[in-house]
Amino acid sequence: MAEVFAAGSIEEVVAFLAGHRGVSLPIAGGTDVMVDKRNGRVHPEWLVDLTSLEALAGIEFREGGKVVRIGSMTRIRSLELDPVLGRRAAALVEAARLLGSVQIRTMATVGGNLCHGTPSAEMPPPLLVHDADCEVAGPSGRRVMPLVDLFAGPGRTVLEPDELLVALELRLPDSGVGSCYLRQTVRWSMDLAGVGVAAAVEVDGSTVTKARVALGAVAPVPLLVAEAANALVGTELDAGAAAEAGRRAAAACSPITDARGTESYRRQVVAVLVERAARIAWLRATGSWPAGVPAPANGVLPSEVR
Amino acid sequence: MAPSCCQVRVGPDLNGAAEVGSDRWDGRAMPASQVDEFQVIGKRVAKLDAPAKVTGRTVYADDLSMAGLLEGAILRSPHAHARIRSIDVSAAEQLPGVRAVIYAGNVTQRPFGYSHDNLPLKRDKVRFIGDEVAAVAAIDEETAKAALSMIKVDYEVLPAVFDPFEALEETAPVIHDERPDIVGNLSMRWDYDAGDVDEAATRAAVVVEGDYSSPQAAPVPIETHVIVASFDPDGHLTVWSPVHMVFMYRKELADCLGLDWRHITVIQPSVGGSFGGKIDIDSHDFITVLLARHSGRPVRLALSREEEFTGTRTRQPIHFHLRTGADAEGNLLFRDAEVVSDNGAYNAWGSHAMLVAMNTVTSMYRVPNSRVRCSVAYTNKNYGGSVRGFGNPQATFAVEQQMEELADALGMDPMDLRLRNANQSGDVTPQGLEITSCGLSDCLRIVREQSGWDQRRGTMRGRHRGLGAAAFIHVGGGARIYASDGCGAVVKVDDSGEVTLITGASELGQGSETVLAMIVAEEMGIPIDSVRVVNSNTDVKPWDVGVHASRTTFVAGNAARMAAAAARDKLLETASELLETPAGELRVRDGVVEVAADPSRRIELGRVARRRLLREGGGVVMATAFYDPPTHNQDKDYRGNISAAYGFGAHVAEVEVDPGTGMVRLINLWTAHDVGRAINPMSCEGQIEGGAAMGIGLALSEELVIFDGEIVAPNLHDYGMPTAVDVPRTVVNLVETVDPLGPFGAKGVGEAALIPVPAAVANAVADATGVRPREYPMRPWKVKAWIDAGESSHASRRAAEPADKGGGDNG
Ligand SMILES: Cc1cc2nc3c(=O)[nH]c(=O)nc-3n(C[C@H](O)[C@H](O)[C@H](O)COP(=O)(O)OP(=O)(O)OC[C@H]3O[C@@H](n4cnc5c(N)ncnc54)[C@H](O)[C@@H]3O)c2cc1C
Repeated sequence: MAEVFAAGSIEEVVAFLAGHRGVSLPIAGGTDVMVDKRNGRVHPEWLVDLTSLEALAGIEFREGGKVVRIGSMTRIRSLELDPVLGRRAAALVEAARLLGSVQIRTMATVGGNLCHGTPSAEMPPPLLVHDADCEVAGPSGRRVMPLVDLFAGPGRTVLEPDELLVALELRLPDSGVGSCYLRQTVRWSMDLAGVGVAAAVEVDGSTVTKARVALGAVAPVPLLVAEAANALVGTELDAGAAAEAGRRAAAACSPITDARGTESYRRQVVAVLVERAARIAWLRATGSWPAGVPAPANGVLPSEVR
Repeated sequence: MAPSCCQVRVGPDLNGAAEVGSDRWDGRAMPASQVDEFQVIGKRVAKLDAPAKVTGRTVYADDLSMAGLLEGAILRSPHAHARIRSIDVSAAEQLPGVRAVIYAGNVTQRPFGYSHDNLPLKRDKVRFIGDEVAAVAAIDEETAKAALSMIKVDYEVLPAVFDPFEALEETAPVIHDERPDIVGNLSMRWDYDAGDVDEAATRAAVVVEGDYSSPQAAPVPIETHVIVASFDPDGHLTVWSPVHMVFMYRKELADCLGLDWRHITVIQPSVGGSFGGKIDIDSHDFITVLLARHSGRPVRLALSREEEFTGTRTRQPIHFHLRTGADAEGNLLFRDAEVVSDNGAYNAWGSHAMLVAMNTVTSMYRVPNSRVRCSVAYTNKNYGGSVRGFGNPQATFAVEQQMEELADALGMDPMDLRLRNANQSGDVTPQGLEITSCGLSDCLRIVREQSGWDQRRGTMRGRHRGLGAAAFIHVGGGARIYASDGCGAVVKVDDSGEVTLITGASELGQGSETVLAMIVAEEMGIPIDSVRVVNSNTDVKPWDVGVHASRTTFVAGNAARMAAAAARDKLLETASELLETPAGELRVRDGVVEVAADPSRRIELGRVARRRLLREGGGVVMATAFYDPPTHNQDKDYRGNISAAYGFGAHVAEVEVDPGTGMVRLINLWTAHDVGRAINPMSCEGQIEGGAAMGIGLALSEELVIFDGEIVAPNLHDYGMPTAVDVPRTVVNLVETVDPLGPFGAKGVGEAALIPVPAAVANAVADATGVRPREYPMRPWKVKAWIDAGESSHASRRAAEPADKGGGDNG
């Protein structure tokens, strides 16, 4: 049994966490914490409830929509249903749609997904390709860092036990940008990714000017793979460039063999999904993909539609 | 093979009045008076238990409360194979709140199970990870768990064997070394021969040969096993257990624990799903009773989800090496199966899955010659139970893939090959199965037509799409595996006019209550809502084998119909006096007896019952029946007609395979089932849709992944049951052949729909990719590897002939 601490401000929460290091744990939606508690992976004496912290909630567009701030307590379901993000950060919404079930997404938060440090988690790859920064609050104040620096290993982040993830900030170029998130699973829903990939491209005319490729579930932490992205920059994202990005991503990851797939299989799938995600991101960036329509999880359209 | 007659008795009136109805039964002569104009049969009646279930009012075992109830918990083996050197429970016994700690050293227990090779609490050895070693009853769950951690068990870890082929080798560690009568790890051997396979092979124009394997899968009821046991001060035991076979349960409980079975009441509370997992008694049942006995208090034992996966019975992996041969015209000549069944640490009824698998090898389509050589191996894993389909999905996966391989080799359409060889009414298969009603050809034609088979199969590979078919045969009129395959029924009408059916059959969520009530309502001419079904208590209900083998509608339905007819006749006898009209000129509709020629002369049934009861020399309206289908136990050569009817059906699956990831998407599933008669079409559709979903899970995702004997992720997430997103629109066609023996012509449909799904999906994957799946579930990495290699990499595995034909008997 654990007691629950609830407070109205970030400072109070941080102070409480600092005063109860090692015996307290933030709880957001609880969809990871409650499972971990039941399985004996965590034994908190105190659960520190974040649901009443207004400052952590909400999706806010700034600078005329060029920047979006996503509070860490934002529910995955809110991301999924946000029409603006659907158009401008398609990968994020695609990933949100695939996470758990409607019930889970209604509870689960983006902050919880990142802070749990699960290598296969859905949120890191799309946020990484959208160049997210994260804002962290601790006893000595606030700091901002690139999201890629948050992850420390399976189930671990760099946050101190008395630090909170406050929000994420993404830049959203208003045109010529497209992104996509794809994943391989055993079932088509309610499953964790065996491989998750996200790609984003910025396109000027018909040339890729910027690209990012991120991978989940194929290394101890989510990866941003610059070599793969570089294979896309300067190209018109032809099949050769997409395939090359896939090959480089496969070479850069370090998957394991477990009950949900072998190491070599996962590498192959990384190559396939990166190639597909890059192509879909390109179609979106160039306006050739219907706005707001998500890609199927594996990036293959049912053959009638194709 | 004439059906034996006189299996059915209509019992004497319980109040001693004159016997009604016939005590002779020719197996066919059900009164057909109302067959043409049904009032209730064939209507879409919502399940009677549905409102309580969806509003949370249903009482499951876990909802029971009683004064002084303790919570039980089991200590399970962490080792796959180990000798128990010693067990020290003294510290656990000292823990405040603990009321009993039991282990083999302080209880009286005898071996149980089909081969009597199992003890509720293991004494000398543990044989799989999850085997029961000790148990605690305490005032609450936390205390019980804490006490478990204080029990010290000293194990000597032994080499273990997990692969059934390795287990059958001479050098393998012997799992039941305490039993000199068991040779090595060969727990059972099934050898069957019909005709001359070798001679037939010389005549075959085409022979196909291959290996087909299935995984360890679980029934996964959403309600885990929950058992409550309580002794009253006089020593009478009451057990609440969600078991299907309550009467056998009582007997086995008594035999194992040395109790007097006359002093045991078994009550089946509402069951939150079983799918065969709760069919018969298991260690946890005995343990709950032992805890109640040792603590002197009522005890509840509720398995956790993890225990439900690691500590209960599973669907056994079965490995087939199969050959099928045909002549140039496509007439099947022979089937030849070498089979190894991986049945785990002990022999429950799961060791008999081959009984059903064998029917499919010998009798699916007309096959004049067949041979089966099957070894059932002990391995250090969870052991086989009687999961829905019972050996048949595994066999059908081999047999029906080979039909399409054979057709391709012959240059024939697989549907034409199937139709050419389809079983027909009047056939007696070489194994002695008497095929009476049979809609197989119609089922094949329907799914062929609906799926666009002739235009589309073999044309969509460029789009990675494919169609695949599979049909099945399954017992649908009981299955005589026990001395009786019968079920009793009592119908009574008291002064209120309410009709009560007391049936031996159990409700598991499959809808038997509703179907039996419909049968009684139809037979008596009353509305469905004036029938109450009582079915849960061994003190009250008449004997029944139990729910298995898709037998309830057929067997319990016939019994209920007979009792209802007899009760109706009594009422008509009295009504005849009251209306001064011969009974033969009366009819009953909507609960009212009327003169057929002049319906204005009528009397309500409740009044008839009262007029019969409330007079001098009156009597209650009560009739009993016992129906045992006219079938035979199979002989030592496995010949004999074990079921009074056989269910047939055919499915076509359409898949799209992603060659990049190996992910398979099931796009469509067309099904056609010969159900004899759809007593309640909505129930039939529900059984078929649910069964199909279960089959889809088997085909694509469900598996207990086991490393070194340990189920690595015993949770609902990793196990891989399909979700709604994984299950496509399932088209259900009900083919009504009106079985001559079934109640109103109905046959069993409970297990049917999952059986052909893995085979149909595999055939569709083969059509889409050109690569033939050799095993299921077809998880993405396997499919990808097969596609990349251009073939399924599954190595050919064949069973060695056993050195000695001895080892377990085959019952
Ligand atoms: C049935 C089911 C299906 C699921 N499916 C998926 C899936 O498909 N994909 C997927 O990625 N995940 C899945 N999950 C996991 C889980 O739902 C997600 O990771 C979810 O986003 C976690 O968010 P939460 O708000 O529930 O986190 P919580 O459980 O509340 O917290 C998770 C961790 O983060 C910490 N934490 C939370 N918020 C903060 C903060 N602001 N600052 C610092 N630390 C914080 C907590 O202390 C805890 O350690 C599933 C879970 C379940 C139960």
